[in-house]
Amino acid sequence: MRPSRHARAAVLFTLLAAVPSHAGRGITVKGSDTMVILGQRWAETYMNQNAGQVVMVTGGGSGTGIAALINGTTDVCQSSRAMKPDEKLKLRDRFQTTGIEIPVAKDGLAVYVHTSNPVRELSLEQLRGIYMGTITNWKQVGGSEATIILYSRENNSGTYVFFKDVVLGGRDFSPRAQTLPGTAAVVNAVSKDANGIGYGGGAYAKGVREVALKRTATAPAVLPDVKTVQDGSYPLSRPLYFYLRKKPEGDVRRFVDWVLSDAGQQLATQVGYFPLR
Amino acid sequence: MTARPASPWPWRAAASCVLATALHAAPVHAQADADTTATASISREEVHALLEGLTEQLLGLQAETDKLRKIKLSGYVQARFEVSEASSDSVRVSGSPAALTVANQSRFFIRRGRIKLTYDSSPRSQGVVYFDGGQDRTVRLLEAYVTLKDWWTPMQDHQLTIGQFNVPFGFEIERSSATRELPERSRAENVLFSGERDRGIKLEDQWTPKLRTVVALLNGGGVNDPDFANTDPTRGKDFVGRARWSEGWLDVAGSYAFGRDVVPLSGPDVWPTRERIGVDAQWFFTLPRLGGGSLSAEGYLGHDTNADSLRTLVQTVNVSATQQARLLRPGADASHLATDFQGGYVMWVQGVGEWAQAVVRHDRYDPNVDMDHDQYARWSLGLNLFYDGNTRLSVSYDDIRTEVAATAGRFADPHDNLWTFQVQHRF
Repeated sequence: MRPSRHARAAVLFTLLAAVPSHAGRGITVKGSDTMVILGQRWAETYMNQNAGQVVMVTGGGSGTGIAALINGTTDVCQSSRAMKPDEKLKLRDRFQTTGIEIPVAKDGLAVYVHTSNPVRELSLEQLRGIYMGTITNWKQVGGSEATIILYSRENNSGTYVFFKDVVLGGRDFSPRAQTLPGTAAVVNAVSKDANGIGYGGGAYAKGVREVALKRTATAPAVLPDVKTVQDGSYPLSRPLYFYLRKKPEGDVRRFVDWVLSDAGQQLATQVGYFPLR
Repeated sequence: MTARPASPWPWRAAASCVLATALHAAPVHAQADADTTATASISREEVHALLEGLTEQLLGLQAETDKLRKIKLSGYVQARFEVSEASSDSVRVSGSPAALTVANQSRFFIRRGRIKLTYDSSPRSQGVVYFDGGQDRTVRLLEAYVTLKDWWTPMQDHQLTIGQFNVPFGFEIERSSATRELPERSRAENVLFSGERDRGIKLEDQWTPKLRTVVALLNGGGVNDPDFANTDPTRGKDFVGRARWSEGWLDVAGSYAFGRDVVPLSGPDVWPTRERIGVDAQWFFTLPRLGGGSLSAEGYLGHDTNADSLRTLVQTVNVSATQQARLLRPGADASHLATDFQGGYVMWVQGVGEWAQAVVRHDRYDPNVDMDHDQYARWSLGLNLFYDGNTRLSVSYDDIRTEVAATAGRFADPHDNLWTFQVQHRF
């Protein structure tokens, strides 16, 4: 007797569903350039303490990491901004989940100027004016007579998105802003340019000076440190995230738990970021 | 050590130049010990000048790459092998005048071969052209539109689009065929929105993170309209609106469309009213050991021109040796050209780990609720295997239930069930 067409269909689907899943290949971590140093230090220390564990960390920007999470090509996405609604929809389209968001550290987005620049503080309004191109000379904000040179990040950067949202209120950067690939490049450019200004993760601020920021013209000027970033009094404090497709299990869970442990959080402080608590 | 430091390429290139210059300068040091200080000083200046020059060149190059970055090329290919119960080795000749009818339905073919070009000219506007060259190998324009984005919200929550784009009605249409879990959309959607696209203008608003609305004015017939694919015979435009409330784990939406169709006849045309109402909901959950899953349902009802009624009530007759007329059959009632319809589907998608996905769907469509034996029902089973981030292998089985007239007033379900094997690559 020939099996019915439905029985044949059932057999084929059962066989295909039995195809083995992809073998384990270590934990892949991809995303934010701001977080890449932090991620690497976490990975190095974790691997030293856990023989046989492999954690691979690469940068590329928060947007690139989120795209990799959606494509299924990374286990963990590091992001210096929250996922956008359309990115969550894309993730849900493929995996039927909007993902898991885990804050892993805090960062104070620093504003850098050259060490010789006499400007010590700026209000958010002044900073907005500088990056939108309405303030073009250092003299307008208490500095010397010189044209302000703007350094910014590429638009796949979470730092770029955060700065645009919080400082510029979503409006466009001045076309005079030079985009550079990575916070290290911004710091390098500002360290060589007496009239330059840039922004990026506080951990990168070597050879430049951080500017204290004021929420309003009359508010006190605040520099990013553990206290001001954790209590939110520093105007550009932000959480740094791990994004996963599902609740962490197995090796990924052990790694995430370690990052959130005292040891992991202490490492964040050593690298120049701020612990969650 | 597997952790790799980020190394932006311009600085890597600059570092290489510094290293090369330093190596080049080394023999000079060895040969002229007496003038060590002067040589070192010159070398440093040279390196500095070189770096400055390189930086200028890199900035120029970067300006060019920034322009190229505004262009995004994407698309996908769906290559299929289909096996139908209706397969046969014959090619029949039928009809008068005689026409070849391809009877064999077991075949390889390209269902979709699509390429999309997006140009983000500025943060405020975007242009898109989108082509498909699948099925009959004819390249056709799928979409072409300009989107203007607002400048007053950080996430650009309000967008105006003008051109040819997806009709904003229902959940199935707004999902790309490259992400949909089964090879084809439901029957009701395929009949009501053939081609899925139309020309017009639409306004999308994200009022809150959970509430999104779309309203559109469209020509109305859609891009596959048999009589008016490129024109609109009605001065009034079709209105389409959709509102979606999204909780993340549960989404609920409603859609509404209203307009007028036209049935062109020799003599006074008939202008049936077209009204469509749709509701849809998706529930997302996670099953232990398996992974993410979703349960979706969508229902349509309304009043629309009926293709079966057109075939039955309208005839083409020869009025002279060279002229034909399209007329209502004697005794036909023009108000019967449009009928009340209803349709919808229920679908369960279940991830099996991260690299496999199982799907079950039941869909139904009744083009005329006042008539029997014209209903369409289908059970579809599907399995998707994700080969990598870009490639998906799919197999699906459609058990199609329809009725055709058999002998002595009886009806029978034709043998037309279908296996589909598909490989899709997205780029």
